[in-house]
Amino acid sequence: MRKTITVILLIVAVIMPFLAFDILPVIGDPQSAPNTHVSDYYIEHAIEECNSPNMVTAVIVDYRAFDTMFETTVMFLAGLSVVIILANRPKKRIPAHSSLKRVRHSGGRPVFETVNKDVMISVIEPLILIYAIYVLFHGEVSLGGGFQAGALIGMTYLLDVMVVKRDKPIFNLSKTKAAAIAGFGPLIYALTGIVTILGGGLYLEYNKIPLSVHQAELHSIGITAVEIGVTIGVAGTIITILSALMERTSFDDDND
Amino acid sequence: MMTTINAFLAAKGIYMLTLALLALGVAGIIVCNNYMKKLICMNVMQVAVIFFFLCLGQKSPGTIPVAVDTAVKASEYINPLPHGLMLTAIVVSLGTTGVGLSLLLRIREKYGTIEEDDLLRREELMTRKKKDGGDRN
Amino acid sequence: MTLILQAVLLAGLIGITIAIIFGKDLMVSVVIYCAFSFLTMLLYNIMGAPDVAFTEAVIGVISTVFFIIILRSIDRKTK
Repeated sequence: MRKTITVILLIVAVIMPFLAFDILPVIGDPQSAPNTHVSDYYIEHAIEECNSPNMVTAVIVDYRAFDTMFETTVMFLAGLSVVIILANRPKKRIPAHSSLKRVRHSGGRPVFETVNKDVMISVIEPLILIYAIYVLFHGEVSLGGGFQAGALIGMTYLLDVMVVKRDKPIFNLSKTKAAAIAGFGPLIYALTGIVTILGGGLYLEYNKIPLSVHQAELHSIGITAVEIGVTIGVAGTIITILSALMERTSFDDDND
Repeated sequence: MMTTINAFLAAKGIYMLTLALLALGVAGIIVCNNYMKKLICMNVMQVAVIFFFLCLGQKSPGTIPVAVDTAVKASEYINPLPHGLMLTAIVVSLGTTGVGLSLLLRIREKYGTIEEDDLLRREELMTRKKKDGGDRN
Repeated sequence: MTLILQAVLLAGLIGITIAIIFGKDLMVSVVIYCAFSFLTMLLYNIMGAPDVAFTEAVIGVISTVFFIIILRSIDRKTK
């Protein structure tokens, strides 16, 4: 009853201002307020100032690089807080609910071995990794960037964990190690800013990096360095959360 | 016919549908009894907010914000600023989901349930037992 | 034309959300949430935000896997 009244009040409060007022711009209008002021500058100067035809990357890691540094830090802190929340050692893993237990073959071989590990590890994972590296280093020219590359690398680890038995891992990152790796991401990002200060510029002003190449090249170098930091941060955080959740969960192929 | 529908959608319709999605997300957080469903509804709410921001950046005769030419006119490309802001927001939403799920796991380990009313009942039971034990001592 | 398509997809998202809220089985809710994130990806692509759509595609898959990992240690049925 209390919940019903709350929901009705909520819906009325959300819908009513819309019927009464007319404050939001028409969708698709090129002259509306969000489309005119600073974004025109970003669109028109992204190529000559940042050497980055993908304007989204130019906005994220060049014009608003300071924002993205702290977004990466927020991601790292999320992974760290997962480690802290799940820091105690449980006595034993919670057994899986009976509706989720798998039916075994009559021969005693569990069903999960029908997933072809060889195809998964030798064909699909290298393709995803190649794509991740392509997206990382091509992010300023075409679609993609550091966040997507980090998520793809995290997905590769996830596939690896899914098809291999837990007591025979190919490579194993515990949650603390993965959190330590994730910490290097914001560090690389911040060090890039310090390098630009040493070159005599402002923080994260890429055309003051002390290298003797063309201005546009300097911007490309700065963007790539920053994106490598973002990639390491995001991939490390995903692996941290994954292994922190996995070590509390019991699976069908566990021996205990 | 089509033009009137388009004009209505551009002026109000899309915004109203987005707000309906947002209201459904908030209502799900309030109404659902299960903490897992609350987390899923939080993600739905986040999608509504992201969609609202992306709506503001649309331009009707515009292409995607990747330049193919060096001479660029601002009216030909979709506004890239909301895209940049929302891209980071989506990635951060994964972090918040992870923190929420780890809290869920701790709740399951301590109370044995993730239903809200069950949890409140057990909490009350535990405090009463503690108080009885204190009286006996 | 794209606005009508967006409206149809948004209506689909609203339907999926109602199905999530009133579902009795958490596994069904989670799998439907995966479908939700893919519809969202389609929507972002239509709006001309391919970067955001790319991110949403990858992140939607990863968060679905997180939910399913958690589902192994909690009760699947709900009231």
